[in-house]
Amino acid sequence: MSALADKLRGLRRQAGVTPTPPRRAEPLPGGLSQLLAVRQRKPVSMARSAVPQVLPGHTIAPGLQLSETSGIWPPAPAAFDASFARVGEVVAPERLLLFDTETTGLAGGTGTRAFMIGVADWHHGQFRERQLLITTLAAEAAMLDCFASWLRPDTVLVSYNGKSYDAPLLKTRFRLHQRACPLHGLAHIDLLHPVRRRWRGVWENCRLATVERQLLHVVREDDLPGSEAPAAWLGFLRGGSAAPLHRVARHNSQDLRSLGGILGHFTRESAA
Amino acid sequence: MNALPNPLAQRAVRQDGALAAPVSGGDQLARRLARRYRDRITGAFVLPRREGDYAPLPADMPAPLMEALRARGVDRLYAHQAQAWQATAAGEHVVVATPTASGKSLCYTLPVISAAIQQQAKALFLFPTKALAQDQVAELLELNQAGSLGVKAFTFDGDTPGDARQAIRLHGDIVVSNPDMLHQAILPHHTKWAQFFENLRFVVIDEVHTYRGVFGSHVANVLRRLQRVCAFYGVSPQFILCSATIGNPAQHASALIEQPVTAITESGAPVGEKHVLLWNPPVVNPDLGLRASARSQSNRIARTAIRAGLKTLVFAQSRLMVEVLTKYLKDVFDSDPRKPARIRAYRGGYLPTERRAAEREMRAGQVDGIVSTSALELGVDIGALDVVVLNGYPGSVAATWQRFGRAGRRQQASLGVLVASSDPLDQYFVRHPEFFQGASPEHARIAPDQPLILLDHIRCAAFELPFHDGERFGPQDATPWLQVLAEEGVLHQEGARFEWIADSYPANAVSLRSVADGNFVVVDRTQGRQTIVAEVDFSAAALTLYEGAIHMIQSVPYQVERLDWTGRKAFVTHTNVDYYTDAIDYTRLKVLEAFDHSPAGAGSAHHGEVHVARRVAGYKKIRYYTHENIGYGPVNLPDLELHTTAVWWQLPQRALEQAFDHRQQALDGFLAAAHALHIVATVAVMAEARDLQKAVGSGDGAWFATPDLNGRAQIRSSLGELDASAHGPFIPTLYLYDAFPGGVGLSAPLFERREDLVRLARELVQRCDCRAGCPACVGPVLAADEQNDTPLKVLATRVLDLVVAL
Repeated sequence: MSALADKLRGLRRQAGVTPTPPRRAEPLPGGLSQLLAVRQRKPVSMARSAVPQVLPGHTIAPGLQLSETSGIWPPAPAAFDASFARVGEVVAPERLLLFDTETTGLAGGTGTRAFMIGVADWHHGQFRERQLLITTLAAEAAMLDCFASWLRPDTVLVSYNGKSYDAPLLKTRFRLHQRACPLHGLAHIDLLHPVRRRWRGVWENCRLATVERQLLHVVREDDLPGSEAPAAWLGFLRGGSAAPLHRVARHNSQDLRSLGGILGHFTRESAA
Repeated sequence: MNALPNPLAQRAVRQDGALAAPVSGGDQLARRLARRYRDRITGAFVLPRREGDYAPLPADMPAPLMEALRARGVDRLYAHQAQAWQATAAGEHVVVATPTASGKSLCYTLPVISAAIQQQAKALFLFPTKALAQDQVAELLELNQAGSLGVKAFTFDGDTPGDARQAIRLHGDIVVSNPDMLHQAILPHHTKWAQFFENLRFVVIDEVHTYRGVFGSHVANVLRRLQRVCAFYGVSPQFILCSATIGNPAQHASALIEQPVTAITESGAPVGEKHVLLWNPPVVNPDLGLRASARSQSNRIARTAIRAGLKTLVFAQSRLMVEVLTKYLKDVFDSDPRKPARIRAYRGGYLPTERRAAEREMRAGQVDGIVSTSALELGVDIGALDVVVLNGYPGSVAATWQRFGRAGRRQQASLGVLVASSDPLDQYFVRHPEFFQGASPEHARIAPDQPLILLDHIRCAAFELPFHDGERFGPQDATPWLQVLAEEGVLHQEGARFEWIADSYPANAVSLRSVADGNFVVVDRTQGRQTIVAEVDFSAAALTLYEGAIHMIQSVPYQVERLDWTGRKAFVTHTNVDYYTDAIDYTRLKVLEAFDHSPAGAGSAHHGEVHVARRVAGYKKIRYYTHENIGYGPVNLPDLELHTTAVWWQLPQRALEQAFDHRQQALDGFLAAAHALHIVATVAVMAEARDLQKAVGSGDGAWFATPDLNGRAQIRSSLGELDASAHGPFIPTLYLYDAFPGGVGLSAPLFERREDLVRLARELVQRCDCRAGCPACVGPVLAADEQNDTPLKVLATRVLDLVVAL
């Protein structure tokens, strides 16, 4: 511990700041105790070698992993009238790009970043998922560039609460890396709003997990709650295990598939 | 307006005799008051009428702006406005420190609007209060309208609705906000303001003299963050600052923005003759040195002035006092409910619409008397007035002038009267007219590198943009601080970069008004209320919030019923007791390191780092006015310790033996001298009395001295036990120390001005009217002690004489 840190600790005590209680004094909720346990380790160099560090996907740039999978569920919708989402045009399915990010927290502002961007589209008749994951902070720019390369001027974005959360957050990150924001000007179907208009007051809430259960009868298996994703990534970044990152990736993947399923529900309705 | 003769007023005419006859201006009233109340007036002087010093509208000003000015009746500038135009055109940072009502705002609106018209340049205005910000926007809009300039100005503060914020960020040419919003809402979201920052050309900061001490040190760091974010967007905006008249405007402005600043201090605005009276209420009980209340005097002066047909403004220190004085004046002037009110109150806590209505009535001249808190002090336009009465000293010379500046018409003399209360500072100032005549004795000071404040802002800055290894924050290499934050887990170091990694929003946890966040909240439980009425710094809590304490909030007394030390809460109820409480505290200081020292008369003066240990052992109940001690209460709180900076004076044993009969006498003298030095030092650095503390002890921390029940020194060797015979060498030391962990930079300027301070303290003691000593000079003295051969005043003077520079 540095002399400055000691001095500051003394001054803070004198200023009446209650010192943080000793760690592990009592059992903490799962994610938190895991995070604290990792924090107690020395940073850098150690532990990495001891734990098998199999990361999701393959490395496409230093610190940037890409995983790509395809499946048959959910099926591609036919061209549909997107006015249910207040996008006033008929959208061909090949223009759709579903996206969902995993972030370091909910605090907002310039200090929160996405460490994973999951994207899905219907490609050659299959539901294709691509997930970008950064394993170093320096890889963020490469991740943003890669994501930007998947967008076309006629892309129609699909998200769940992405208009108020994911898109502004990415916009901030592009800005911080002094890049133009590629999301700017793209049509964006945020499914939260039609869901709310439809089922507010009917279901206990309109969270994605509720909607997928009620509407799609999806049951998640060994799901990592979204709120634990930041700790999983931070733990890895500080030299912890990569295993929780696989759970984050599965969680993100399920979010994407549910997004596709909910979209399908609305498109069938608007066609009927 | 001239009301019909009113019977009450007529009765008062008889009482006040010739005083109530109409007068043509403040000069006549000043002369009458001075004749009638000669013994109450401790200072009377006249600032002569001065013609304006003008300059033509600059030729390089854009034509539409020139037309807008002409349409508003401005066809020339005051010299200082032209000077500000030239300096800003030359790219200099500028501070304008001219008196109230000298047209300071044009100094910044002209360059800002012209850059907005010509280059679509944006500007950020920072004002300390929301009311000021709103007035400023109204003024900008009027000028904009007069010339159809198309410049958009908006306020952005806590009241700005969410849906308006986006439009302001994108379309505002001038955004008017405050330091707290910049700190908590704008900088942590700077990417949303990217367009604004990319075109930011001017930052205007008004009332910079209020950014001093802890608050100023925080603001300086917020400005470091602002400049860091600006650099990210490739801009380095020019700063235009405004200040009330203080002793060091250029130095202070430059300390805030950490860049060289050009100071403009000569006003070219014409001023009418201004009379100033310093008024000390008459002694009503010579034995106890008791004076009549300031309230009775202010009421009398205001009554006389209003009756003489002069528009009058009375400033009171608290909302309660505003209501009391308003009632007194209304009883005389507004006895007929059918007529429009001639007297109005103005204070915080009214609804904005009520305040706007009051302002309109005042501007229209429908009101004859206004009673206000400091809410009116800054900028709010209420039209011209003739007389300003200050019920009590407002805490600084700068604020006194700002309030006096409310009175003044070009063609007619105005009058300002300062009525002193019994407070030691009031009594000090009312006896020193020269403080109001010569150069300002006040210097605004900040300590932006105060460790805890700096750490808080490096934390906020790291949230806003990553740091790279070796990056500076202010003059400091930020690296060690970043390492501390990395150890805490909020930053992650990767290669040469430190990046924010925690899921938190650090600006929300940093208050610009305190050091660290151990503050106590004061909860009012009166009649079932459960509301927070104040916040108290951790370091002051033990001294002011012990159970039984009478705690004053805006001059209203509350009694502390329960103190929850760990929960950092004090529960209080409103009370009406006739006493106040004073903590009995034992303070032991130990010098850790001397940074600097110099000879001081027969002794020496030092500046350095000290360790302070403090225990509040109990408290005294002291009756108002008579200062009688009417009881005690115990206090049982944890000891406090503090690493901070101090200035101290020492005298060698030999010098003491020659000057004093015995050690007791010398120590009495030290305690008394400390009281006087503390008063003058508080003024010199514009500190709150509780932010700067005093103590007497030995330099090595072996013993310390506290006043006993009779104001006489007692020696203790540890916190608690009494120890009549101190061992070891006898080197009494007088300390003034910064009451915050790590200090907030008060002691260095005190060391620089040590010779002034000793001289001023000597004058304070010598000029005081009391016989043996009183709270306004060397501290309270018991009646029995007044007969002593060598009263405290004499002993204090002996000590001060020994350390005065030869």
